[in-house]
This record gives sequence, structure tokens and C-alpha cells, in this order.
Amino acid sequence: MRNALLAISLLIVFASLLYVAINPGDFGAATGEHLVFGEPKYSDMDDYFIHNGQNQTGANNIVTSIVFDYRGFDTLGEASVLFTAVLGTGVALRLLRRDRK
Amino acid sequence: MIFAALLQLLLLIALMVSAYLAIKFKDLLNCVIALGIFSFLLSLEFYILQAPDVAIAEAGIGAGLTTAIFILAIRSTSRWEVEE
Amino acid sequence: MMSKIVRTQASFLYTLILIFGFYIVAHGHLTPGGGFQGGAVIATGIALIVVAYKFENIKGWVKKSMLTTAESIGLLAFIITGISGIGVSFFYNWLANSGLLFGRVVHYGINPGYINTAGTLPIMNLAVGIEVLGGLGVIIMYFLHYAKEVK
Repeated sequence: MRNALLAISLLIVFASLLYVAINPGDFGAATGEHLVFGEPKYSDMDDYFIHNGQNQTGANNIVTSIVFDYRGFDTLGEASVLFTAVLGTGVALRLLRRDRK
Repeated sequence: MIFAALLQLLLLIALMVSAYLAIKFKDLLNCVIALGIFSFLLSLEFYILQAPDVAIAEAGIGAGLTTAIFILAIRSTSRWEVEE
Repeated sequence: MMSKIVRTQASFLYTLILIFGFYIVAHGHLTPGGGFQGGAVIATGIALIVVAYKFENIKGWVKKSMLTTAESIGLLAFIITGISGIGVSFFYNWLANSGLLFGRVVHYGINPGYINTAGTLPIMNLAVGIEVLGGLGVIIMYFLHYAKEVK
């Protein structure tokens, strides 16, 4: 019974995902704009990065120039999150070791 | 074009098979290897979808580090799954 | 400890994985990849050695204090590189197109990919790579220590 219910719910999710994958639909049909999948309406920021990133930072890899230069604060947060995670792991395992004695 | 679509279909089927095997095996070491294969195929899929940065990160962390941590955990506990 | 086949293969592949990781870190501003991905690949090489050998062997090769020092130095170097452009703004790329170290001028368009470009980006890549390598490696060493104590 439980397995049959699980299988039916999985089938429903799979069928809906397949339907969306085959027929992506018409974005923005309610407001009258017909947008194509993969072509966003506003792309000013992307165009700015693609056309000026190489001149301003000198890096061929636009992804790196965005991650480390234009959006440097994000990378700083990511690095400090990793540092804090390692700190937490060390503290937790040290507490467990003291309990064991 | 038809070749790329066929390759992607084959990759997705292999992804589902490896994910099913990872929860079906009784030997936990086999489960970990199946999970590593899942991560590797996922990184291949990312590469086909033109995201090489994500593919490198997935191959390094998913297929390398997670497998190592699981093997370390299995080494200090039991290798076989116990039925309740 | 694993079988002899795994140990031989691990000691052969270890150097190759490390070289590939440092290549990803050093060419982060030219090819796909960067500090985080390269650091993860290097940590995979350390994890391979840790999984393949016994605890008594690893204790002499991979030092935990060295990894924690690498992590701290990486984060510090990243923050200091960010602060060094404080004359204009935080994280300002003052070395790019200046003619100094990593300061070769690049114009929009296709170029062969010179390594002496991109200003502070290679320095930040190296700092983040060292930090990620230390952080992920030290997590594996913690796991190894604790698993050894339980057994």
C-alpha cells in the first residue's frame, strides 16, 4: 500500500516535469509580452559585463572577473563561511573527545 | 544534434540507475562507489550543458571528497547494512 | 589501510592530482575554474592519500597544524588584497592594466591568454585556493583523528 502510494506520487511528479520539459509554455502571456525561453527581457547588466569586463579587469575568464572583482563581497562571505564551518567541526569533535575521557 | 540528444538521454538514464543502486545495495562500500559514479555523471552532464566551472567543482567535491569522507566513516563503523 | 594495488595507485596519482589542482588555481583568470575549484581538487589528492594509507604513516606526511596555518593565511591574504585597493573602494582592482605585476593591458576581443594579466585576480585566486585546500584538508584530518579514537 505504502509502496504503491509512493510510486504513484513519483509518477505524477515525473509526468509533470516531463510535460514542462517538452512544452516550456508561453512566458508572460498574461501581460501580453511573448518571451522566448533563454532570452530574458532585461539583459543590460550581462551585456555590460561581457563588453567591458575584459577591458576593465584584464581577465579572459568573465566568471572569475565577476566572482572576484565585481562581486568581491560575495566571495569574502563564502570564504568566511568555509572558515567558520571548519572551526565548528573542530570545536564539535574536540567536545566529543573530552566526553570520551 | 541527434547524437548530443541521444548522449544526454543515455546520461540521464545512467544517473537514475546509479541513484537507484546507491540506495539498494546492502554493502555500504558499494553504495559509496555508486554515489561517486552518480556525482561523476552529474559533472559530465554539467559539462555538456556548458558550465565547466560547476563541473570542476562537482567532480572535485562530489566525486572526490564526499567519497573519501564516507569511506573514512565506513572504516570506523560496520561495512554491512543491518536489517531492523 | 587498503590493498597494495590501491596504495601503489594512490602514491602515483597523488602528484598528478596536485599538479592539476595548482594548474587550475594559477590559470583561474584564463580558463574555467578558479580558487575554489582548484583548492577542492588539491584537497581530493590529500584525501586519496589519507584513505589509502594507515594513520601511523599519514601522521608524518600531512601535518594538521600546517593545514590550519594555510587556511588562516589564505583568508588573511584575501582580506589584505581586498583592503589594498581602499584608496578607491574596497576590492578595487588597482593592479589591472597598470603595467606592473599582472598588469598587462588587455583589449576587448580574442587574445591568446597571457598569464601576466588581470591585476589582483591571480593573487586572490591563490589566496582562496590555499584557504580551501587547508579547510577541506583539515576537515578530513579531523574525521581521521576521531575515527581512529573510536576504534
